[in-house]
Amino acid sequence: MPSINGAFCVSVMKDRCINFQMPGKCATCAEVCPYDVFVMDDSGSMHVQNYNGCVGCRICVEFCPEDAIRINAAESEYLVRSPWTFSQVEEIHQKAQSGDYPLRGFGTMGFSPGFDNITVVPSQISSPPPLDKYREECDLAVTIGEDSCENPIRLKYPFLIPAMSFGALSKEAKMALAIAAAQTGILANTGEGGLLPEETWLSRGFESQERTLKQWEPGGYLAVQWSTGRWGTSADYLRSGDAVEVKIGQGAKPGMGGHLLGEKVTEEVAAVRGIPVGTDALSPCRYYDVQDLTDVKRMVAFLRDVTEYKVPILFKLGPSRPYEDVKACVEAGADAISIDGLVGGTGASPAIVTQGVGIPTLALIPPSVQALKDLGVHHKVKLFVLGGMRNGLDAYKALALGADGVGFGAALEIAMGCRACMACHTGRCPYGITSQDPELRARLDPVEAGQRIANFLDASAEELKMLTMLSGHGDIRELSTEDLRAMDINTAAISGLKLVGHSTALPWWDNGRMEPSNN
Amino acid sequence: MSVVVDASKGDLRSVSAELKELIIEEAVTIKESGHLHGLLAGFKGGELIVEGDSGDYLGALNDGATIRVTGNAGRYLADNMTSGTVIVEGDAGYGAGQYCYGGTMVIRGSAGDFTGVMNKGATLIVEGDVGDEVATYMLAGDLIILGNAGANLGNYLILGTIYIGGTWASLGHNTLLEDGLSEADRMKLRTLFDQYGVEGDPDSLTKIVRLSERPFYKTKSAEPPEKAPLPAPLG
Repeated sequence: MPSINGAFCVSVMKDRCINFQMPGKCATCAEVCPYDVFVMDDSGSMHVQNYNGCVGCRICVEFCPEDAIRINAAESEYLVRSPWTFSQVEEIHQKAQSGDYPLRGFGTMGFSPGFDNITVVPSQISSPPPLDKYREECDLAVTIGEDSCENPIRLKYPFLIPAMSFGALSKEAKMALAIAAAQTGILANTGEGGLLPEETWLSRGFESQERTLKQWEPGGYLAVQWSTGRWGTSADYLRSGDAVEVKIGQGAKPGMGGHLLGEKVTEEVAAVRGIPVGTDALSPCRYYDVQDLTDVKRMVAFLRDVTEYKVPILFKLGPSRPYEDVKACVEAGADAISIDGLVGGTGASPAIVTQGVGIPTLALIPPSVQALKDLGVHHKVKLFVLGGMRNGLDAYKALALGADGVGFGAALEIAMGCRACMACHTGRCPYGITSQDPELRARLDPVEAGQRIANFLDASAEELKMLTMLSGHGDIRELSTEDLRAMDINTAAISGLKLVGHSTALPWWDNGRMEPSNN
Repeated sequence: MSVVVDASKGDLRSVSAELKELIIEEAVTIKESGHLHGLLAGFKGGELIVEGDSGDYLGALNDGATIRVTGNAGRYLADNMTSGTVIVEGDAGYGAGQYCYGGTMVIRGSAGDFTGVMNKGATLIVEGDVGDEVATYMLAGDLIILGNAGANLGNYLILGTIYIGGTWASLGHNTLLEDGLSEADRMKLRTLFDQYGVEGDPDSLTKIVRLSERPFYKTKSAEPPEKAPLPAPLG
C-alpha cells in the first residue's frame, strides 16, 4: 500500500482567508486539524507547516468560515484512502442528513471489463488481403425478420437507437433521434413512454404528418415498445410501429422498473402516457400480466396477431444471465434481441444500482452468441449489443464477437450536446435533452441535433467499414473472433479471444465454445 | 341465426383471419376457442360471443368490440383494453382488466388475484368476489366489486375509485375510506347497473380513494437547490 504521508496538497486561498487579511484573527484550521498541518506563528500569521501530515479528511475545509482551503489528492484517492475516499465520506454524510439514497442518470462510470483491451487484427500477406475503403464495396446492411415477417426491417447500418422514453427525454430530443434514424436508415424506438405523434413521420423521413415531402433520405424505422408500465399503449399504438419491442429490462436498472418522477410529468407527457399530470410514473419491475415463459409466448402471439404478422418482434434484455435469457427470448418468438450491458443506461436510477448491478457488456456477448448457435439461429435471430458503445471500433469488436449490430444510447445524447453531467433525472438538463422545462427545451433544435446525431452515426459507420476492410472483409457478416485479440488475460478469459502472442484461446475455451454457465 | 365460427381446429392466426374477413353486421358466435390465447385482440368493433370458456388474454387491447363470454374467462381478460365492452357470464381468472385505458368489463361471477392492476381509466365491474392485490397501482377509472375482496386491496392507489359491497381482508398503502357516496357517485353507479343489468344498490357500497397524491416520493420543489453565496471579497 502506498503511504498516506504526503499524499495530499493543501492550499489556502489568501484572498478569502480571514487570518491573511487580519493576522491574529481566526485559527480555526489549526484548532480542528488532528495532524497539526496548520500552525500560527508568534506574529499571529497562519502557515501550512506540515502538509505531508495531511490525510485528506477535509475537516479544515468543513470548518473554515470563508471556504478558503482546498485539499487535492497528489495520488489517486482510491490508492491512498480507499474505501474511505472523499466521495464515499460525502455520500454517507448526505444519506445521514437526508435519509435518501442518491439517484442519478447516465449509467455506470469507472472501470469494468470492456472493449479497450481488445485489439483488431489487420490483414497482411497470410490472410485474405485488405480492401480499399475508397474504391471498393463493403456491405454494412442488416435485416431483421427476413423470414418471419411480411415487412422486415432493412437497416442501412448495423446500428439501432435504444429505447429512451418521451418523458425521460424532451420532445425535441425524441424528434432529433427520429430525424437521425431517417437520415441514416436505422431504427428509432419510442421507449416505454408512449408515442409522440411527430416520431411516426419524422422517423420515416417525412417532415410533416401529411407525408407529402420526404425530407430525409433514405428514411428510417420506428420500434414501439411494449413494457411493464404500458404507458400510452393501444392497438393503434402497436400498429404505428415498424417493430414491437418487448421490454424485459434495461442496463441502468436491471430488475427494476422505470422511474419517471412527477417533476417531469408535464401536461404533454401526461397526455402521451395517459396518466394524471405530476404523478410519479413508476413502471413495475415485471409484467403483472405474465407469470411464466408460456405467458410471454402467448403475449407475443397476440402482439403478432394485432400487428397482422407484418412486423418483427424485438426483445430488450438487461444484463443478467445472457445464455438462458437469450434462449428464452428465442423460445418466446423474438426476431431480434437487444441486450444491454452494465455500462448501459441513460435512465434515472439509484446510484448503487446503475453502478453495481449487472454483467459488463463484453461478458454478455459470448454466452448470448452461444445460445443463438445452440438453437441454430445465430445471425437469423439478430443480436444487438448495447451499453457503453462509443464508436465504430466498439461496434466492430461486438460484431466480430458474433453480434449482428449495436445500439448507441448515451453516445447519441452526447452527440446532441450533452456533457454527461448525470443530472438527467432532475429535469434540469442544460441542453434540453432530458428536460421538460420549455426554457431549457428551447435550447435544443431538433433538426440541428438530428443532423449532429446522423453525422456521428455516419462517421461511426465509416469507422466500422474501414476496420472491416482493413481486416480483409467486404461484408460485416464475415467478421469473426479471428479478427480480434485480447491484450490481457482477464479479457481473454471473459471473451474467449486468443491472447496476443498466443495461438489458442485459454484452455477452458474449446474452439470458441465456452461452458454455458452464467452462475 | 347469427354467424358461427368453429374454432376447434384452428390456431390463433387462422381463426383471427377468419373473424376479420367477416363483415360484421350481426353478432358472431365463436365455438370451442378455449385453446386459443389472445383471441379477439385489438378488435375495433363488432359483437362477438365466445361460447363456453375462453383462453387467456381474451380481448387484449380491445378497441371497440363488444365481447361476451358465456362460460368462464381465462387469465388476463381484456388486458390493456382502450374501449369497448367485455362481459363474462361466469368467472374470470387471474389478472382480469389490467392496464386498461378505457372501456367496460363486467364479470357476473368472481375474479382472481391482481384484477384491475394499473387501471388507467376503464370501468371494471365484478359482481362476485375478487382475490388479493386487486387494483394495485390504479391510476384512474372505477373498480366496482359487489362481493368481497382479499388482501391488500388498492395498494398504492394513485387516482380513480374503488367501490366495494362486501368486506376486504386488508387495504393496501395509500388508500382512504370515504364517508358515504356523493350524488354523482350514486348517479354513475345506478346508470352503470341499469346499463349492464347488475343487481345491486349503490348505497350499500363503500368508497375507497387515494390518501396522498405522491405516495412513492416526497413532493420536491421544482426550484433548483439554493447555491451557497460566494463570500464577499476581503479587504
